Amino acid sequence: MSDILDIRDLTLAFKGHRGLTEVLHGISLRIAAGERVALVGESGSGKSVTARIILGLLQETGSARVAGQVAFDGRDIMAMHPRDRAALRGTEMSMIFQDPTSSLNPTFTIGRQFAEVMHRRAPRLSRTACNARATEMLEEVSIPDPARVLDAYPFQLSGGMNQRVMIAMALVNHPKLLLADEPGTALDVSVQAQTLRLMHDLVEDHGTAVLFISHNLGVVREFADRVYVIYRGRIVEEGATDAVFHAPGHAYTRALMDAVPRITGVGLPEVPEVSDAFLAPMVRHGSAS
Amino acid sequence: MIRSLRIIAANPLSLTGLILVLLVVLAAALAPWIAPFPTHNGAIVDFAYANQAPNARNWMGTDLVGRDIFSRILYAYQISLLLGVVVLAIATPIGTVVGLLAGYLGGWAEAVLMRIVDIFLSIPPLVLAIAVMGVLEPTLTNAMIAVTAMWWPWYARLVYSIARSEREEGYVLAAEVIGAPTAHITFREILPNCLPAIITKMTLDMGFVIIIASSLSFLGLGVQPPTPDLGSMVAEGARYLPDSWWLTVFPGLAILLAVFGFNLLGDGLRDVLGVDE
Amino acid sequence: MLPVLRILLRRLGISAVVLVGVSMLIFAIARVIPGDPARIALGPSASAEQVTALRAEMHLDEPLVAQYGHFVSDVLRGDLGQSLYTNRPVTRDIAEFLPATLELVIFAGILMVALGLPLGILAARHRGRWPDHLIRVLTLLTVSAPSFVWAVILMLLFAFYLPLFPVAGRISDIYEIERITGFLTVDTLLAGNFAAFADALHHLVLPAVALALSGIGQAARLTRANMVETYQKPYIEMAQAYGFFPSRIARSYAFKPSLIPSLTIIGLDFAAMLGNAFLVEAVFAWPGLSRYGVNVILRKDLNAIMGTVLIIALTFLIVNIIVDLLIAFLNPRIRHSTRAAS
Repeated sequence: MSDILDIRDLTLAFKGHRGLTEVLHGISLRIAAGERVALVGESGSGKSVTARIILGLLQETGSARVAGQVAFDGRDIMAMHPRDRAALRGTEMSMIFQDPTSSLNPTFTIGRQFAEVMHRRAPRLSRTACNARATEMLEEVSIPDPARVLDAYPFQLSGGMNQRVMIAMALVNHPKLLLADEPGTALDVSVQAQTLRLMHDLVEDHGTAVLFISHNLGVVREFADRVYVIYRGRIVEEGATDAVFHAPGHAYTRALMDAVPRITGVGLPEVPEVSDAFLAPMVRHGSAS
Repeated sequence: MIRSLRIIAANPLSLTGLILVLLVVLAAALAPWIAPFPTHNGAIVDFAYANQAPNARNWMGTDLVGRDIFSRILYAYQISLLLGVVVLAIATPIGTVVGLLAGYLGGWAEAVLMRIVDIFLSIPPLVLAIAVMGVLEPTLTNAMIAVTAMWWPWYARLVYSIARSEREEGYVLAAEVIGAPTAHITFREILPNCLPAIITKMTLDMGFVIIIASSLSFLGLGVQPPTPDLGSMVAEGARYLPDSWWLTVFPGLAILLAVFGFNLLGDGLRDVLGVDE
Repeated sequence: MLPVLRILLRRLGISAVVLVGVSMLIFAIARVIPGDPARIALGPSASAEQVTALRAEMHLDEPLVAQYGHFVSDVLRGDLGQSLYTNRPVTRDIAEFLPATLELVIFAGILMVALGLPLGILAARHRGRWPDHLIRVLTLLTVSAPSFVWAVILMLLFAFYLPLFPVAGRISDIYEIERITGFLTVDTLLAGNFAAFADALHHLVLPAVALALSGIGQAARLTRANMVETYQKPYIEMAQAYGFFPSRIARSYAFKPSLIPSLTIIGLDFAAMLGNAFLVEAVFAWPGLSRYGVNVILRKDLNAIMGTVLIIALTFLIVNIIVDLLIAFLNPRIRHSTRAAS
């Protein structure tokens, strides 16, 4: 089995004042080793919670009810002890967040945060070894003066710089899967595009599989091999990026594409109205199963 | 209002607070009718029953001259609540106006007013009250003056910080654009946004005023005997520890009970009104 | 210039302004006093000539502005005047009584931080669950009584009922300790007398706990509130996504950044203990500023009142400066800023 991630019939519900509210209604999604897959949908469609389930974070909160199958690298995440799930995080899988600057600890230097991440994999790694390895990684993400950046605090660096730092940090332990949740949405469009290109090349070199979560079809088109479109907790369309973009089969996908501004990567697409057609059955392209 | 009450009642802690506060208020209001010895709030002696441990006649014992401690606590609650209400009724408007003006006007008004507030805040509250009491005669009215003098700056600071952030909000700018007068903007537009924080702080502060006032009278700088006061009752009894423990323990617990009630209620209100700590 | 140095200078400037304001405030309070200070000082039996002479000596016959000028220049020369109560210079009285109070307040401050912060961290880590609720009730309880009530309760429980601690005083009579700093815990160590040191500590426990209890509650509640807010920050989720241990996240990712806003308030609480020390000292017969302060107030001893308040305000300002420097040290944003800190 070459799939790094295999999700089947995943459901999620939150316990609230008035019983359970179902957020995911049984989604299935798989990612092959080294494959870049995008999960696209509006905010509230269930894409971010999916990433948190893969990481095993939501399973540990009292109010979430998760059911279904999540296999990571052939291992059943759902049946794992929380401690074993925690052992996978930061080592076998890592994550990149929306706003790089506020996702880094404001009271630690970049170097210290790098070291903390590296110690997840190699707890006894010396300070000099950490610094050497971090410098190497920062060079890989084209940061001109790594020594200065390692000594800096996040607030002293630009958003684009912090984004590169976060990409470098996410890849330093050679994870098998990288989860990218709306990476760089908080940044300038041009900076975002630049760092995404960088990330694209880097994961290709490292052979890292990526689940790329986004509301932005333009960005997805540049980045992903394959696309899942999610609408209100259901996958409505799946297929190779080109196929989906050339012949969107589902009404919702078409609405989403019509809502995308022509210039790549601007703003949040707003699908103007809710249509019964959006609830139509899922569309699959090619022979993906 | 009804909705807020329902939310408070749903939380056992807030509900406990509400019940405690109601108990204390009722005890104070009904003291002349429910106190077993209503005449014991004054300079009465009854040496036949002096210094009795708690018993069936005197549930909390009697003091050195034979007065019923339970009755005196009920009357002392009257003084504590009166003091709290008066202090807050004066300190809150003063502090609110100063804070609103400093926060909304900015510039010189802000610099001067807030420096004055800083000066008041840089003397520990109790020390300031003690100093004021030092030059005034120790009476109930003067205790109110002393506590008010140390209390208003806290409201000024609270309202100031809210007003300063509201100043930049769209609705204030809009009011300015249409040429609304300053008084209208500060009192009609900004003040309502400060109210939840002010109300929460007032509830919590009822408890803290009781603490400060009892501290003053504990030091002999507040309400004078024979008027019953929780602080001076503890001070009097402290000399007779441990044998006549009831002289101090019951008045002390009475303070704890009342303040705890206001704190629980204030804590609950904070959640209901969505005020940050 | 080093940012920390700049903060220090700025803080000293503000403190100077505040101190001038405090001196005016104290002066104003002192002049509100009903009656003639000279007459009060001399007592009812003094002759009119004696009173006039003392009025001239105390500059009471001059305009208010001139009187304030004399007051300030005296204070700047370190002269706080004569105490009418002890007939000694006020500075000497304060030097005698202040160390006992400071010793008590400092130990209570240590307790406040050492117990309040961990309780707050514990509550924040288990927010919404039973340890949080328990700590909430307990801390609300500790802030709900004045420190003299706690002092009385602790004394009854742990000095009388369970005689674990001494009832009153700073040290047992059997020890003769040479006064060097006035801090008994320091002086006993300087004298090399460890038994006396242990005895002094033993005497400190109950008063310090009584004084610290409400501060512990405040510090715990504040720490919890700020940490709960910090737990919403993206870098906490990032830390979780990287699989760091919850205890490590609590310490380095939630507590440390949230400590910075807490510190200012903790500094204020610490200063409030200077006032509350008056109450605890009265219960435990602690020979600090309290008895002196209350006595001079009851005797309307103006110079002593003004001196005592001024010294307390000064101590308060010093504490604030230390807190600001601590914040600057903890907060890299200030430590490494090239812009003026605000």
